[in-house]
Amino acid sequence: MTTWEGLLFGIGFVTQPEVLIYCVLGVVLGTFVGVLPGIGAMAAISLLLPITYYVTPEAALIMLAGVYYGAQYGGAVASILLRLPGTPQSAVTTLDGYPMAQSGRAGVALFTAMASSFVGSVIGILVLVMLAGWLSRAATAFGAADYAAMMILGLVAASTIGTARPAKGFAMVTLGLLLGCIGTDVNSGAQRFTFGQTELLDGINLVALAMGLFGVAEVIANVRNPDRQSVAERIGLRRLMPRRDDLRRMAFPMLRGSALGSFFGALPGTGSTLSSFLSYSMERRIARQPERFGKGAVEGVAGPESANNSAAITAFAPTLTLGIPGDPIMALMLGALVIHGIQPGPMMLEARPEMFWGLVASFGIGNLLLLILNLPLIGIWVAMLRIPFNYLYPAILVFLCLGVYSVRGLTFDIVAVAGIGLAGYLLAIAKFSPALLLLGFVLGPLIETNLRRAFLISRGDPMVFLERPIAAGFVVATVVLLLLPLWQAWRRRSAHELQ
Amino acid sequence: MRFIFTRQVALVGAVAITAVPAFGQDSWPTAPVRVFVGFPAGSSPDTLARIVTDELAERLGQPIVIENRPGAGGVIGVQQMLVSAADGHTFGTTINGTLTTAQRMMDSTGFDVAEDIIPVTLIATSPLVLAVSADSDIDDLESFIAAAGVEPEAIAYGSVGQGSGAHLTAELFAAEAGVSMLHVPFTSYAEVTTSILGNEIDAGFMAPSAALPFVEAGTMRMLGITSSEPFAGAPDVPLIAGNAGLPDDFRAELWNAFIAPAGTDAAVIERLNTEIVEIFNDPAIHAQFLAIGWQAAPGSADDLRQRIADDTAMWGGVIDRVQAQ
Amino acid sequence: MQRDWPDILGGLILTAIGVGAALWAALHYDIGTLRRMGPGFFPVVLGAGLFVLGLVIALPALGRACTAPKVEPWTLLAVLAAIVIFALGLSRLGLAGTTAVTVLVATLPAPHKGWVWRVLLAAAITVLTVLVFSIGLRMTLPLWPRLS
Repeated sequence: MTTWEGLLFGIGFVTQPEVLIYCVLGVVLGTFVGVLPGIGAMAAISLLLPITYYVTPEAALIMLAGVYYGAQYGGAVASILLRLPGTPQSAVTTLDGYPMAQSGRAGVALFTAMASSFVGSVIGILVLVMLAGWLSRAATAFGAADYAAMMILGLVAASTIGTARPAKGFAMVTLGLLLGCIGTDVNSGAQRFTFGQTELLDGINLVALAMGLFGVAEVIANVRNPDRQSVAERIGLRRLMPRRDDLRRMAFPMLRGSALGSFFGALPGTGSTLSSFLSYSMERRIARQPERFGKGAVEGVAGPESANNSAAITAFAPTLTLGIPGDPIMALMLGALVIHGIQPGPMMLEARPEMFWGLVASFGIGNLLLLILNLPLIGIWVAMLRIPFNYLYPAILVFLCLGVYSVRGLTFDIVAVAGIGLAGYLLAIAKFSPALLLLGFVLGPLIETNLRRAFLISRGDPMVFLERPIAAGFVVATVVLLLLPLWQAWRRRSAHELQ
Repeated sequence: MRFIFTRQVALVGAVAITAVPAFGQDSWPTAPVRVFVGFPAGSSPDTLARIVTDELAERLGQPIVIENRPGAGGVIGVQQMLVSAADGHTFGTTINGTLTTAQRMMDSTGFDVAEDIIPVTLIATSPLVLAVSADSDIDDLESFIAAAGVEPEAIAYGSVGQGSGAHLTAELFAAEAGVSMLHVPFTSYAEVTTSILGNEIDAGFMAPSAALPFVEAGTMRMLGITSSEPFAGAPDVPLIAGNAGLPDDFRAELWNAFIAPAGTDAAVIERLNTEIVEIFNDPAIHAQFLAIGWQAAPGSADDLRQRIADDTAMWGGVIDRVQAQ
Repeated sequence: MQRDWPDILGGLILTAIGVGAALWAALHYDIGTLRRMGPGFFPVVLGAGLFVLGLVIALPALGRACTAPKVEPWTLLAVLAAIVIFALGLSRLGLAGTTAVTVLVATLPAPHKGWVWRVLLAAAITVLTVLVFSIGLRMTLPLWPRLS
């Protein structure tokens, strides 16, 4: 089957009513659970798993995939309006999306997020269709040393995000890395910093960390804040749609973000988080007025949102062509196929082409549905800000606690939210970036295991980071990135002397 | 939300009133039954539990709620089962490691297998296969052992973590074959497979279901299997036992079992065992298990107790050697 | 002159965390070698890094002026207490009971006076929570307080 035949076949397949209905169901439910703080795609997919026993495997996969990317649209809504990110990717969206909402541009922020998500997905789909084989080869070509070098580059590139002083950024990343050490060490089985708490054996719950640092801290800061009580007064209906100026600003960040996301998405594990952080830091670096970032820059929403959505699509490349799930959600979806007696693996594409093309077509149709569904909803979402904060925040707290609880059903995690919330509030007062802490926390365990694995496999030879071409490329890029500010300072000084 | 099944609607309401004292066998079960699974929804222990409990719910005439409490290799699930009252309506399923090796590998599991847990029945077993990349020069068990014997750590193999079944099986194999291999821990079979395909590590001990798709695609090769009899899911793979100089009684299997908290009425345990064993009279259940890589293996509660004791002793010896390294 | 207390204290706290983590890890976990890094290697390196970064943040701030941020201790206390009450109440009071109590505690610091709206709000959020989580998302939670 050629690409175009495949696509046409896929579109024909998905537009059958009995398949389309599951696509619609998936994206609607995905949006809904995405808006609820903390209830992510994972919880929703586990919830829907029993239904998948009763439908065809194609319909099941299309529905679950709909939940997966639908939840990303919904997650952006909660992040922009209420600063309640459930994932590190959404945390990036809060950096500029939330300030936009606070200054009365919530509608524009939501529009930007949705349009960027759509553009990112479409580009992701094109890349997936044309380069699926290449992307999966990239996934197996990446060894432990390459991953470690790539993630260190990502950390260095991102660590100046959302903070005026670089030292504070690096400190937050380091603190995040350190928090990521909590729990059972994969390599030795040692229980680090668990202090006898079995609930900590798998580390701090990521959703609890995100909710505490962002949501709880924000609630505490705003309960008695008169400005927050009157956000509604600043919102006019006319401001729901973006101005021409906004559209012009978001176009290129979307394309750049999609390119980043499409590539990193194919690498199992980190793609989505890493690409949204990288996209944000790239936009800020190349912007003419970097000081607008963090105060409501459209580019700061457009880039990362398109990056994480294209990454969400290309993440299916290794999953579908190799049967290697990139993250727990992908693993869950493959689990749903296994129940139907389909063994995901390198042969699936040949054995069941309708699975691949149907799914690809469903991405396109599902994202179109999301756009059609969500654009009219912008007005309703924004109206949520008209609810006086007095009435809103107790509900936020209850929903957030249940969202955290839904991850693994332990009340320990809710108590942890209180402690993390306290820390988050203090960090906010002292102007430390919680997003960077979250980035360090997510990447920390991956960097550590890959670094240690690289040294194990190379039998202790550090040259592995220079001998492998991919790793060497990232190492060089990291060094350049670290030296760049010094070089710029030197050039500025010599220019000064010339005058 | 049109997709709510009537059974589950009934259950949401019913769960609200679960705090009820213990019952004799006549009336049991009088309330919805809760089964704790220490792994996330969609994982293979979860799927095994759902296949069994779907049937069990009909036989018992009460809904069964699967409570997923993932974490710490299944230990959190057992802990949460124990925290819930032993009211005759709370049970759990677990993998072998939680009851046999966790006590040795972890600082504290918070429970004592002999005192706190009543075995109900074994559900299923799964062997592991030794797999290498198809590009590898190694094509059978003998050449593998020869390659591993060239020098210590000549061969690097992947497992799903320190103290995992795959790790301990590999160390048992190495000890019996008289070789020493480099252990590279990963977190999932998917990662191990990627690393083997990328020729980063040489081999891996893994679940047959994780290796089979790649064997069919011609990118991986299976050298041996750890069960004592040929495995129905991969009948062509030679047994490790009695092959290439390894002892005839070599056997290393993962298993999955149904358990209850201490204090559960003996009559309830007996009824539960009978019902579950009867469920396995249906060959369709065996086929469902095999499709996800598990061999159905129901038995008596005493069989399971013996299995726990035997495996604890056997793996204890392996752990002694690993920790001495 | 008002000192830049947030950076001074923040930096010092980070320094303390860094020292604490590095020492704890060095005493309890194996450092290992480059070839076979132990579980202590990363925490020690990171703790040392945090120690340095904390000082880099705190020391320059000593001579710097800054407007003091406003802290709301009562709001902080009420919100955190509400979350802990929710956690502890979930298994004892049931979803409905714990939600109502949590909302009442959480509204304590709200500037809007009176108690009628607080009770109505608690009732409304309780109904919403039960509808969304218990009925909509089918979370298996006890709804009402345990009788025994």
